[in-house]
Amino acid sequence: MLNRREFGRNATFAGLMLYTASTAAFAQEESIKIGLLLPLSGGSAAVGNQTKTGAEVAAAQINEAGGVNGSKLELVFADSQSKPDIGVSETERLIQREEVAMVVGAYNSAVTFPSSEVAERYGVPWLVSGSVKNEITERGFRYIFRPNNKAFYDAREQIDAIDLLAEQTGERPESIGLFYRGDDWGRSHAQAVKQIAEERGYTISLDESYVPGQVDFSAQLLKIRSKKPGALIFVAGTADHILFNKQMLGNRIDLPFGLHSVGGGAEDPSFYEAVPEAGYEYMFTQEDWQIDRMQSGNLPAEVIAGDEAFEKVLGYGFNSYGAQGFSNIYIAADAIARAGSAERDAIRDALAATDITEGPALITGYQRVSFDENGQNLDAHGVISQNIAGERLTVWPQENRLESTTPAWPIPSWRDR
Amino acid sequence: MDPTLALHVVKNGLLIGGIYGGVALGLSLIFGVMRIINFAHGSMLMVAMYLAWGLWAGLGLHPYIGAIITVPALFGLGYLVQACIISHLFRREKAFVVEPLSALLLTAGVFLVMDNLVLMIFGPDVRAVSIDLAYANFFLGDIPINIPRFIAFVSAIGVAGVLSWWLKTSDMGRAIRATAQNRDAATMVGINVPLVYNITFGLGTAILGLFGALLVPFFSVTPTLGLAFGIKSFVVVVLGGIGSIWGCVVGGIVLGLFEAFASQFVTATSAQIFSFGLFVVILLVRPSGLLGKA
Amino acid sequence: MFGSATTLERALILIVAAFLVFLPSIVRDPYHIHTATMIVYFSFMAASWNFVCGYVGQLSLGHSVFSGVAGYVTVLMFTQMGLSPWIGMLFGGFFAAVLSLAIGFPTFRLKGPYFTLTTIAFAEIMRIWFENTDNFIGIPLKGSEGLVVPLVGDSFWAFQFNEKLPYYYIALALLAIIVIATAIMERSKLGYYLKAIRGDRDGAEALGINPTKYSLIALSISAFFTGIGGAFFAQFFRYINPERNMGIDLSIDMAIMSIIGGQGTVLGPILGSFILHPIAEVARTSLGGSFLGLHLVIYGAVLALTVLYFPQGIIVPLRKLLARISGGDVK
Repeated sequence: MLNRREFGRNATFAGLMLYTASTAAFAQEESIKIGLLLPLSGGSAAVGNQTKTGAEVAAAQINEAGGVNGSKLELVFADSQSKPDIGVSETERLIQREEVAMVVGAYNSAVTFPSSEVAERYGVPWLVSGSVKNEITERGFRYIFRPNNKAFYDAREQIDAIDLLAEQTGERPESIGLFYRGDDWGRSHAQAVKQIAEERGYTISLDESYVPGQVDFSAQLLKIRSKKPGALIFVAGTADHILFNKQMLGNRIDLPFGLHSVGGGAEDPSFYEAVPEAGYEYMFTQEDWQIDRMQSGNLPAEVIAGDEAFEKVLGYGFNSYGAQGFSNIYIAADAIARAGSAERDAIRDALAATDITEGPALITGYQRVSFDENGQNLDAHGVISQNIAGERLTVWPQENRLESTTPAWPIPSWRDR
Repeated sequence: MDPTLALHVVKNGLLIGGIYGGVALGLSLIFGVMRIINFAHGSMLMVAMYLAWGLWAGLGLHPYIGAIITVPALFGLGYLVQACIISHLFRREKAFVVEPLSALLLTAGVFLVMDNLVLMIFGPDVRAVSIDLAYANFFLGDIPINIPRFIAFVSAIGVAGVLSWWLKTSDMGRAIRATAQNRDAATMVGINVPLVYNITFGLGTAILGLFGALLVPFFSVTPTLGLAFGIKSFVVVVLGGIGSIWGCVVGGIVLGLFEAFASQFVTATSAQIFSFGLFVVILLVRPSGLLGKA
Repeated sequence: MFGSATTLERALILIVAAFLVFLPSIVRDPYHIHTATMIVYFSFMAASWNFVCGYVGQLSLGHSVFSGVAGYVTVLMFTQMGLSPWIGMLFGGFFAAVLSLAIGFPTFRLKGPYFTLTTIAFAEIMRIWFENTDNFIGIPLKGSEGLVVPLVGDSFWAFQFNEKLPYYYIALALLAIIVIATAIMERSKLGYYLKAIRGDRDGAEALGINPTKYSLIALSISAFFTGIGGAFFAQFFRYINPERNMGIDLSIDMAIMSIIGGQGTVLGPILGSFILHPIAEVARTSLGGSFLGLHLVIYGAVLALTVLYFPQGIIVPLRKLLARISGGDVK
């Protein structure tokens, strides 16, 4: 992944800080700096680290292929600690001290929201990575671009998938339950699902939030057992997701139309290590990345090589956040190449004119990346997979579903498994 | 509430409540003898769980067998923290009782160091032990009871029983009780109070070594897990009466039942607010706790 | 003003104050001004915490509630009623002070760790409630999403500036106010009473001092200032949410900075913030996530060492050193 020759030139740094060393090597040439603001410590650190690795893999590929317009890309990482004020301070530093050409970040919506405003004020392009808060691209800003989903899309897709499966099989759940983390993400998601589901004629039989870091879900599982929702929409981080699925398995609670996770914990590879297969069999997962992408054929060579390089660093192949970090750098490189310089306004204009319909930037499973006047990619969509016989297979949208895939719908009850 | 549901609720409350009580035992013991509130209590449980996880992931040891290692290891950790760090406070104040706030702050420092050292070593990823027993149930009538939780519940009561019996009958136990009652008198009859302190602290954390091993089959571990259990333990100890062994178990069960019933009527978030509210009310109305001496 | 200070100490204080005032003419870089503003803000918050906790000798780990509540009042008065944040923050401060009386009245009877645990419980109740309440009797609290202060551009009335510099000087002015207020309090009747309560609560009561009353007076002033700090934070970042502005992290920061610097002294908390904040900043920017949580390990270690070796804070040995240098006769 790293260019050996260049790495060797800076052997004094070697072993101390691997990536700083590699970027320092590039700094001797004319390089283009991209700042990445990510939660590298604190509660979301695992996600931040996956995004970081994906971005590094992409940058290494681009630089090995000669860089952008003859210049190398240099990634400068900053740690937001998931805190809004630290995010703002670090954005100031990236822009003022590091003089980055653009910023990518910052996963947590609460960080992206105020930090991207700093970038707007200085006229520095900001490529949103992973943050779904609707208002981020609803402020009339000129420098903010979001290739990924809005929160509202995430919610709509989960209902779309239920509708699609109902249409294809004629079996439709009467009621939907909501169980979500009582924070910004969980609550706004649940609100949107509730609105859309009710518009489409589902009843909401359970609407329940919890405080992150639960030690026991028994009481909530009892409620689910007595309210009997057909399908359950679930929002959780990794630790809560693991606990919930384990207790679901222990209590053998039947959900005829399945557990629908909006990602989070279910996107984290450590979830699948912690929970036995029976604990997540038939579970639906919505994420900004097509999980069976690597099996779908016709992949760009960069993506296949990237998956290997990613696995070398983290021990597992691309996941949602790794893929987003990878895609973000390719989107940035595309804009910088068209801008013809590292000048911030030129990059901004190039980003606004982005229209990518092929190549490694589409690793996430989108058919296209382009931005509307608010900087939102209207072609962004998540992909919903179902876990069947130990494999996570795409079931929605229809265009991304592999031909060999047959969704399980309704799902077998515990007695029949 | 229909009776079957009520039975389920009682079962859930008892099981988790017993676990709360068991985890809090060490906190109560240490306070009873040394008048110190160990802010790092939850962190030590977290360390115990990492250890149990590491033994399972690295050596393939079943957590229940791993307890043979985690219990003495945590005893050692507690003994060393007391002997190398907290004892300085006693030495400085030249007394056997230190200002409780200094001790709280000192252990808060230990909590920060411990949590973040683990974060530096293991990273933020969630770790979990995956064994089949975690999902095994037995039935009491129609009510399924999760076996590993039941084992943890029974262990909490067992440890409380053994601990109070040991404190009553053994030489060291009597020395500990004498020290708790009157330090100066204990010194005069030749009890080595600093040693008693070290052993008490070690015992308090050794119990966490056991529960770390008992909890990993069903709880996953993160570096930040400690604070949630720590705060729960404070609540339990205050409910039951600080320093009372059986009060601790009762306090845990009261909290468990309270949460289980509250969660049926309100959302989990509101239940959390109510359990903090219960804590504040008990502190204000009956600061000595349910079983504590007034 | 600093009665017990030696000449050298006074000179040093003046030099530091002058340095802070003229700092922006030395470093013009907005990033450094921003960092300096944060250091001054944390000094102010630690000093506000110290106003009651340091002098009464009680450890509150729930002070962030006052910051959060006042921040919300300020922002809501601006967005809902169009009231200038300058006036809103005074209302916010008063609101925090009233809230502090409601919390403090029952809890100040509790001693030591009991008091600390109750403050944590109160703060957590408020935070969880705010995070899960979208709308309270028609007031749009927006739950855990937090509130955004709409951008209106450079306007003194709206407490919004395009440059960092005005925020820096506002923070510095706030810091000067709390330093003067603490110095006055220390030499007033209230200060003597608080110290008497700290030394021996029962003894003070026997002398006819009502410990709860004087503790509450100090608490409400402290809550007022903490609230002003929260309002400043909301305006500076134009964003406020329950997790950051009411969470236990902020309370722990305020307490630790005071305790390490020297609680119950006028300048100790400021010293603490000036030591600890740069450590966190350097740890984060130079190591950039390579060693997760390193700065907190340092915080914890410094805290433990301070409690063991300088129980009254780092300011005590510092003063002794200064006294020795100047050959003064301060004890």
